[in-house]
Amino acid sequence: MNKNTQIIKSSLLKRKRSEKYFKYFGLTGIIAALLFLTIIITSIFTTGKKAFKQTAIKLEIFFDPKIIDPENKGTEETYKSANYKIVIKNALLNYFPSVNKRIDIRDLTNFISSSEEERLLEMILKDNTLIGTTKELWLTASSTIDVIHKNLEMLNITEKDRLIDNKEKKWFTKLLDDEKLKFQFNKTFFTSADSTEPEQAGIWGSAMGSFFTVLVTLILSFPIAVAAGVFLEELAPKNKFTDFLEVNINNLAAVPSIIFGLLGLAIFLNVMHLPRSAPIVGGLVLALMTLPTIIIATRASLKAVPPSIREAAIGLGATKLQTVTHHVLPLSFPGILTGTIIGMSQALGETAPLLMIGMVAFIVDVPGSFLDASTALPVQIYLWKSTAARGFVELAAAGVLILLTFLILMNSFAVYIRKKYEKKW
Amino acid sequence: MKKSGNLMSSKIKISSKDVSVFYSQNKALNNITFDIDEKKVTSLIGPSGCGKSTFLRCLNRMNDTIDICKVKGKVLIDNEDIYAPNVDPVLLRARVGMVFQKPNPFPKSIFDNVAYGPSIHGLASSKDELENIVLTSLQRAGLYKEVKNRLSETGTSLSGGQQQRLCIARAIAVSPEIILMDEPCSALDPIATAIVEELIDELVKNYTIVIVTHSMQQAARVSQNTAFFHMGNLIEFGSTQKIFSTPQFKQTQDYITGKIG
Repeated sequence: MNKNTQIIKSSLLKRKRSEKYFKYFGLTGIIAALLFLTIIITSIFTTGKKAFKQTAIKLEIFFDPKIIDPENKGTEETYKSANYKIVIKNALLNYFPSVNKRIDIRDLTNFISSSEEERLLEMILKDNTLIGTTKELWLTASSTIDVIHKNLEMLNITEKDRLIDNKEKKWFTKLLDDEKLKFQFNKTFFTSADSTEPEQAGIWGSAMGSFFTVLVTLILSFPIAVAAGVFLEELAPKNKFTDFLEVNINNLAAVPSIIFGLLGLAIFLNVMHLPRSAPIVGGLVLALMTLPTIIIATRASLKAVPPSIREAAIGLGATKLQTVTHHVLPLSFPGILTGTIIGMSQALGETAPLLMIGMVAFIVDVPGSFLDASTALPVQIYLWKSTAARGFVELAAAGVLILLTFLILMNSFAVYIRKKYEKKW
Repeated sequence: MKKSGNLMSSKIKISSKDVSVFYSQNKALNNITFDIDEKKVTSLIGPSGCGKSTFLRCLNRMNDTIDICKVKGKVLIDNEDIYAPNVDPVLLRARVGMVFQKPNPFPKSIFDNVAYGPSIHGLASSKDELENIVLTSLQRAGLYKEVKNRLSETGTSLSGGQQQRLCIARAIAVSPEIILMDEPCSALDPIATAIVEELIDELVKNYTIVIVTHSMQQAARVSQNTAFFHMGNLIEFGSTQKIFSTPQFKQTQDYITGKIG
């Protein structure tokens, strides 16, 4: 072995060792990241999954003609003006005949969610032959009962720390022992908007709000950003001014989102007097925020198109614009689209600027257009999380799950588009 | 007729007068003056970085696309200065086609590749006419037989030599007067090179061709005139036969005999 080989051999050991350390270092990082991710997802999931089911109580409901239609008119108005709370109360008293004090009756009636009165009315409106008959129904329980049912160990704590007092506990245990309680799928969560009662609150309102907001953002930011990116990259002369623009656009991408919210408040609400809490304003603000992201993505993907394609087109006598629209832009489209989708998922998860323009209100109706007051998914989560009442914690976690699902779907779509349309040359 | 070295006087197509090119402050070409004959192949040879490609790109104002590049002097095509302010480079490039070093077909179908030039310039008034142009161009580029059954396949699916002939077909579809070729065979194997060289012999009957090449043998095989560039200067220009048999300058001799380069 000659001398050089000897030297190389001894240094090789050291080089190999540092390579090994580096590999372990990276691996540790990834494992730690995965670990934290798993912890977060598990904790959100275990809390959130409780919101997908709700407690129902089985009762024999007698659709009493004396209450629903005492004068036997048979009109919708009569049905609508009837007091279905009494129907439910009677059903409960029928099951618990020993309850007779007025205050106890009130507490007992509170076992059932107030939304069920509406449901009974709808049943009657659909089929009025039900009047006078008795039917076994699963009625949604109030959130207090729901919380107790989901955490049965709560029954064992002392009365003063418990959500329900001893007499309520007795009723609850009787229902439980008689197998009159069950968990049913919480459809309300997916179909309704916010509510003061956790068992009646749903994510749909804010999901629609988010949908309208992100749609406005997409319609506004995509064409403007792509046009700006193409202009800056392909058509604008390279001088001090365009350099200055570039630096500013890059800076804009790093501006905290709440600043954009303040801008929206000052301009869109105070100067232009657009409706408060409306998805159109949210969309405008988020479009401003997303613009730099898409511009940067557009420019990067335009840059990645090989110069030979440009030369080929220019050499044939294509104008600059023809070169861009016929060749460069189609080739860079997957990259632009990926950037756009990532920008959109950023916008979907953005909360701070929406707080500034009033999309943080308590809104019970599912928005139907860009101008209706609404919230957005992340804001709804924030609202639920900051509500003290029992039952909202689970809703917040379930909301996070829904939001994460949307984000994962959007990001996988971005990956799919990139994989499908990227061309090799 | 090639390498006949005949003294038959031919018409001058391109005339370069005191052309200098600057990249920012660096001078890449220094007062180049010579004439290029019509319907002949003129090859530009010289070591890497001598400015031959830069000169070629002056002839269709391809250098305009580089911001830092400045061209001084005059290039006359049919006695008109192509750097005059009233000349539109887009129109010029339709008259002066170009084939690049690396085959660069568009990632579109073979048909669309050839049809692109005629359709942006509106050269065909109907679909049939366009198809006619495409097919003749492919025939002239000697590619038709190989691709006639797969015109809708992408241009990038062809082999390297076929891609380069597709690029030639694309260039001649616009019916230019001049074709510039920037080392068209440097990425091709010897067989594909031979086919392209035969094609050049065929094309020169209708077009004026200027070719940059690194291969002295290729210059000797395909061109009637040769210009030798070195360090941004035009050292020697004359008929190919003369340059290769009796070079006037030592630098030329050193280069063609392989001592420098």
